Amino acid sequence: MNDFLPQLMRVAEARQETADVRTLRLEPVEPDRELRWRAGQFGLFSVFGAGECALTIANPPTRGGGLECTFRRVGRVTDGLDRVSAGEVVGFRGPYGNSFPVEDWLGRDLVFVGGGIGMAAVAAPLRLVLDRREDFGEVVVLNGARTAADLVFAGEADAWRRRGVRVVRTVDPGGERPGWDGEVGLIPDVFERLALPPDGRMVVVCGPPVMLGSMLRALDRLGYSPERVVTTLENRMKCGFGECGHCNVGPFVVCRDGPVISAAQLRRLPPDL
Amino acid sequence: MSAVADWQPRLVALVCNWCTYAGADMAGMARRTQAPNVRVVRLLCSGRIDPLIIVTAFEQGADGVIVSGCHPGDCHYVQGNLLARRRLTIFSELMDFLGLDRRRLQLAWVSASEGVKWSQVVDEATAAVREAGPLRGFGRPAAGAPPVRFPERPSAPRPAPAPGENEATATALRERAASLLGGGEVAVVAGYAAGSLPGQMVPTFVSDAAGTEVLDWNERCLANLSVYLPELLRRDGRVGMVVKSCDAKAVLGLVREHQIDRDRVVLIGVPCTGVRPDGRLAAKCYPCAEAVSPIADMTAGTAPAGPRAVAPDPRDAEIAALAALPADQRWDFWQGQLGRCLRCYACRAVCPLCYCETCVTDRNRPQWIPVSIDGAGNTAWNVARAMHLAGRCGDCDECARACPADIRLDLVNRRVASVLEARFDYRPERAATAPPPLLTFLPTDPDGFR
Amino acid sequence: MDGWRVSDEQLEGWLVSLLDGTRRVVAPVAEDGLTLFREVTSADEIRLATRHPRTRLPAKETLLPATEVLFSYRLEAGGVALEVPPQPSDQVVIGLRPCDAAGTARLDEVLLADSHYADRRRRTALVTVACTSAGPACFCTAVGGSPGGTEAADLQVVPLQGSWLVRPLTDQGTTLVAGSAEGWPEASDEDWMAAEGQRRAVEATITTEPIPSEWVRGLAERFDAPAWQALAERCLGCGLCAYVCPSCACFDISDAGGALCGSRCRTWDSCGFRQFTVHAGGYNPRPSHLARHRQRVLHKFAWFPLEHGALMCVGCGRCVELCPAGIDIRQSVVRVMSG
Repeated sequence: MNDFLPQLMRVAEARQETADVRTLRLEPVEPDRELRWRAGQFGLFSVFGAGECALTIANPPTRGGGLECTFRRVGRVTDGLDRVSAGEVVGFRGPYGNSFPVEDWLGRDLVFVGGGIGMAAVAAPLRLVLDRREDFGEVVVLNGARTAADLVFAGEADAWRRRGVRVVRTVDPGGERPGWDGEVGLIPDVFERLALPPDGRMVVVCGPPVMLGSMLRALDRLGYSPERVVTTLENRMKCGFGECGHCNVGPFVVCRDGPVISAAQLRRLPPDL
Repeated sequence: MSAVADWQPRLVALVCNWCTYAGADMAGMARRTQAPNVRVVRLLCSGRIDPLIIVTAFEQGADGVIVSGCHPGDCHYVQGNLLARRRLTIFSELMDFLGLDRRRLQLAWVSASEGVKWSQVVDEATAAVREAGPLRGFGRPAAGAPPVRFPERPSAPRPAPAPGENEATATALRERAASLLGGGEVAVVAGYAAGSLPGQMVPTFVSDAAGTEVLDWNERCLANLSVYLPELLRRDGRVGMVVKSCDAKAVLGLVREHQIDRDRVVLIGVPCTGVRPDGRLAAKCYPCAEAVSPIADMTAGTAPAGPRAVAPDPRDAEIAALAALPADQRWDFWQGQLGRCLRCYACRAVCPLCYCETCVTDRNRPQWIPVSIDGAGNTAWNVARAMHLAGRCGDCDECARACPADIRLDLVNRRVASVLEARFDYRPERAATAPPPLLTFLPTDPDGFR
Repeated sequence: MDGWRVSDEQLEGWLVSLLDGTRRVVAPVAEDGLTLFREVTSADEIRLATRHPRTRLPAKETLLPATEVLFSYRLEAGGVALEVPPQPSDQVVIGLRPCDAAGTARLDEVLLADSHYADRRRRTALVTVACTSAGPACFCTAVGGSPGGTEAADLQVVPLQGSWLVRPLTDQGTTLVAGSAEGWPEASDEDWMAAEGQRRAVEATITTEPIPSEWVRGLAERFDAPAWQALAERCLGCGLCAYVCPSCACFDISDAGGALCGSRCRTWDSCGFRQFTVHAGGYNPRPSHLARHRQRVLHKFAWFPLEHGALMCVGCGRCVELCPAGIDIRQSVVRVMSG
């Protein structure tokens, strides 16, 4: 028994999402090893020689075919993950952390807001909801990025629409491409323009720290109860299970008590993020 | 026994693309036989061969390293090899001081037409490394480091300050600081105040005339306050700073390297008889002839008239004692010292000249300095630190003072400084007028290359 | 009756008996003018008596090595082979001060969750030596400790009037002296009372005021106190305070080696480093010395005690004594509470 020993996973499929965002689908090298996780949990993904990094598991456990991670190439480990090809072996520890309270959302209207690579964290609960579409009310996805080319999962938008989802895409001013038919503007502004009535609606919002902050302020201003706004914290993590001391926000240890957190909980934490 | 008999030296050759690599190629085309123990790594220029690349080779199992490039004057990039000559001279002296057998690091100029010379270099280097045997391991020797008998420190050339002397300086200092702050000449004064431990003096920053009461001065004011200058200037615009003459060389370095604007700093010189961290005069103070720094803008109190008693820096005798040991014993001594390194980077944090936004040790693409807190990682870190400060170090000894493991970083710095002085006529005081000595060269620099 | 009063010779005989090769023995030794915990092979290396200074560094390394291999990896045809290091050997750490042993108890709160630490901890016995004097930076009594404290100790040795009181506190401690204690004279009630008196006398020399328990919540509520600004002003951002601390448990995980073979290592880390929290993308939730110093103080005096009860500071004073900028964590706590 060794808590730091990763499970060996074979890359079953590698998909390029954008120029610097990639998805890997991983299956256990030993096929009898069963993987269980809940939407919102994360794992420590490793490339031997480069190290480990914490990434959210991007697919829901309902679909089979191994687990997926979607990441932006930004550091040493993601650089390594970016280079592996199908058939190669990487490591996985986890799953760790809590998960989205999907059962509490039954019958409700839902909004999923993802900024940039934040879409990777939105993906698991969104896809879970899509797989159980009839259990939920109206579903809106607001997917934003700096430029149209940076929109993560843009290729899935049509499939989402077919499942009765309203998909709104937005890019920063100047990030449009010729023939762009989506929105232009920052995510909080676009969200406000959608003028969705807050009553009873759940909002899942994930994205870079600055976007998250302004989005949470916008939701507050628009009258969304902080109990019904859920996000994930993406602090630097090393161990994944509450030991290493890297990810805490005050008394809240993100890897153990999070990463999923409501805006109401977040408000009670010191502003150390 | 057979393991020793079967042992074959492994050498890494770091060679420049334009001359030596072509020379090695020529040796091959001419079908010259040469020792098969060398792995050749091609870099664009000998000027690109960072000492950390060499340390990495040793750390990953090389018993010897050959560094080779174009002859001086022939560099494809005009001056790369002339810069390399200085850097590698310092580096090989540093490694010798750290106990690396000189036979393990071979420097040679080999041109594209010198295939014969290349094969000779390879053969001779391989033979020399074979003679030196396998590289001694990194890390604290299993039996503990051998004790090194350092000569007794001679008594201090100057007595501790007479009663009242410090108080007079402190009073004058408070007046100077109050007037600078009151007159709006500076927004903050960095000085010393009593700390929470008995006799301890700590850095303090005073922003108004009334606050100057906490400022004090005595022989336990150890910190070099210039480490705070860049940040204080960013925050407050104009800064007054209490300066000892040993601290001033770091100020010169910061000015030379464009980290601070000298015109926005007011240096308040204090008449200093020397700091006494544990009641004894610090080694760096023995040879110090300057009671007040010559670059101070004003003096708190009065500088004593006439020359004062000085004595040779007692560390020179300690360095000589180490240098007299066989290389392997010196290696064990330093691996014992560096084996204690915690990698807390207090040495880096207190160093006024270690101001890089992101230190090479924090970079991980590639990870030149192993993260592991052990012999190899600690050696790489400490070599990188010493090399990056070669010719930039102001000789304030803050790194050695800060080290919680009492690693003799002062001896390392001082050894490098003495080589710089002997080979390149460089001393820290020259920071006022000369460029950093490893960023320049003379065509006539001494040449230890084959 | 709970222990013995033994002579120097008897104590030494016992130390020799521990060095019978069945376990690793770690104790304070002299090295280059420092006193440090090192593995020892002979009893005369051991600097046990409190006339020797407290070790420069705590014994943390014996349980949480500065660098330890978690597993090694090797690329093989079509896959990767992982290998875990061998089980740690039994060890006894001799000569911890009560604060150092208390520090181990704090490490336990955090690190027993992982098998690596737990394995080593289970095989480790702690022998503490009661303090007969307090150094200028000592403040164990301010944070719930005592110069005669027994927290986390398996066996306590009390230097008393030229001899030693030896007292096992756990089964593991009893086992350690099992062979030697036959024939040792039992300590009398007067001996233990004298030890008590000695403890109280040392405590009386420690002048730092005890930290009131309500300050734990108080500090947590003062996250935005203006006092933090001045407290962190001197900080230079090194990791010394965490690295010399017996209770700091934070660590990093990284790979050493190349793509073909190497190992994944755990190394110490410090919240004082700017790098500690910086995201791969460059964003840093704790971008300033202020934010990082505040994290250190609040982790020890608010977040940890809120969860585990005890403070995460044991009052050994090493960070106070060794901080190159002269920062005193006691002052930080007091000034935030009073400012």
